[in-house]
Amino acid sequence: MGLLKDRYCIVGVGETEYSRNSGRSTRAMAVEAIRKAMDDGGLSPKDVDGMLSYHQNDSTPSLIVGPDLGTRLNFWVDMIGGGSSIEALVGIAMGAIEVGMCRTVAIFRSMNGYSELRIGGTGARGAAPVRGQDLATRPYGMSSPGQAFAPSFMRHMCDYGTTSEQVAHVKVAHSKHASQNPKAFYKERVTVGDVLNSRWIVKPLHLLDCCVETDNATCLIVTSAERARDLRPRPISIMGVAGRVSKPRSDFAFAHGPLSRVAGYYAKDIVFPMAGIGPEDVNLTGSYDAFTFTTMLQLEEYGFCKKGEGGAYVSSGIIELGGKRPNNTSGGQLCEGYTHGMNLVIENVRQLRGTADDYCPGWAEGKHSYDYSPGKCRQVKDVEIAMNLGWSRPETGSALILRR
Amino acid sequence: MPNVEYRGMNLIVPENDSEWREYLKMAREHRLVMRKCSACGLLRYPPGRGCPWCSTLGWSWQEVSDKGTIHSYEIVAQAIQPGFRDWAPYPVVVVELDEQRGRPTQDEGLRMVGNLVTPDFRPEGEENVAIGQRVRVLFQDLSPEIALPQFTLTGEPPEGRLWRLA
Ligand SMILES: [Zn+2]
Repeated sequence: MGLLKDRYCIVGVGETEYSRNSGRSTRAMAVEAIRKAMDDGGLSPKDVDGMLSYHQNDSTPSLIVGPDLGTRLNFWVDMIGGGSSIEALVGIAMGAIEVGMCRTVAIFRSMNGYSELRIGGTGARGAAPVRGQDLATRPYGMSSPGQAFAPSFMRHMCDYGTTSEQVAHVKVAHSKHASQNPKAFYKERVTVGDVLNSRWIVKPLHLLDCCVETDNATCLIVTSAERARDLRPRPISIMGVAGRVSKPRSDFAFAHGPLSRVAGYYAKDIVFPMAGIGPEDVNLTGSYDAFTFTTMLQLEEYGFCKKGEGGAYVSSGIIELGGKRPNNTSGGQLCEGYTHGMNLVIENVRQLRGTADDYCPGWAEGKHSYDYSPGKCRQVKDVEIAMNLGWSRPETGSALILRR
Repeated sequence: MPNVEYRGMNLIVPENDSEWREYLKMAREHRLVMRKCSACGLLRYPPGRGCPWCSTLGWSWQEVSDKGTIHSYEIVAQAIQPGFRDWAPYPVVVVELDEQRGRPTQDEGLRMVGNLVTPDFRPEGEENVAIGQRVRVLFQDLSPEIALPQFTLTGEPPEGRLWRLA
């Protein structure tokens, strides 16, 4: 696998707007996002012959979406999953191209994640029948992601003295970034006090510790470095990937501790050696922010700080624009919009190209002011290597390392 | 085994549920049982098909004591499931049973999820929920055939220091 380092690239990215009332189908949104990614990469319909998507029975299959784009597919898979799927699918796309099943793969996620099927399983889904392994949790009122993860967050606070204030800085940082992102659903900067004064959802999570559910579609396109050479934008090389790496006892994560240990503990030993780098070489991170805590736990587990020091790390300014290693410079899923992780990879691709779509008039040509005050620039200076830390649950995660 | 309605949810435990049916039946007899590996002797929960540690498929039920310690918890303020709305705020606890603590590795144990309830099955007050509190199992009968294991405080001295979210 080390042989494939830098042999595959991300050559196109695209997305719809982030809203709470798309007023259209996941099919229509998927087509817009994929078309934009194809245009971004200078790809015609005959160039794209592979398609991958992930869904929670809330999307439109590749077989339906493909013809809307004028493509004829040689390979497609619609995979069930949410967070951590995108990094895994990038690796799967590389494998499919490598064995010769197809040449170029568009990966998409399309979801009416607010107006149709909300993440936490509200409404009818909240009262769905319970059977099999769900009998261990759902009869006790533990069903949503926040409810499933909260004991891991609580145990981190107990074991390491991590405070709500420290973790609130993740939302504060991402909201600063979002104020430089015209696409962000929430563009307003918030304070630590705003987070702590927002209502409880499931302790230790306040409302503002949770991501912002939206309607959106997102897409990125993977092809070989050889084909990427002929394409318009600067191809972004894939240095390393790890997909859906899991802790022991993934059948019931509470069985295997420490509870605050997350899958990055295992994924880091795959992705860093593959890329031939360590965490100190990474200039920019996209640590999955379904919740403020998920960002912190992953940064810690991948070695950006010591285990237990995540609270200090995320509240130090390091993860903010202008800091040593900013995280989720688009505002992430806490502010830009919840996409099950795709927007965090798209942002890192744009950052590596030097064309973050901020409020700088010349962003498309890579002309930036690097003035990080509200409504200005969000391009990171001299970014060489970016990393995504994808979260599914405490016990499962993925990772992706990209370079320009 | 008929389906059971509990808090607006259908709990479905069909005859072919080879993992949960007997477990919940024995819970209705107010016995807490775990699967015990026939090779390495380790107990496991939930009732899975094979041994997670040695992969042996042979097993037998073993009754365990009903005592443990709260290992972590959460307080659900906004219920997602409609049937829990009148219960919020309610605690969900991760309990480590006294059996097999720190085995097979120091970070493992027999851990279960449940609600921390009063003896009449109302959610325990938040001020009484803390990591380190001693608890015991309380079986909540849902039908003539099924009971849910829940947890209630024993009143014993806590294990180590108590910790709760300030
Ligand atoms: Zn065994």
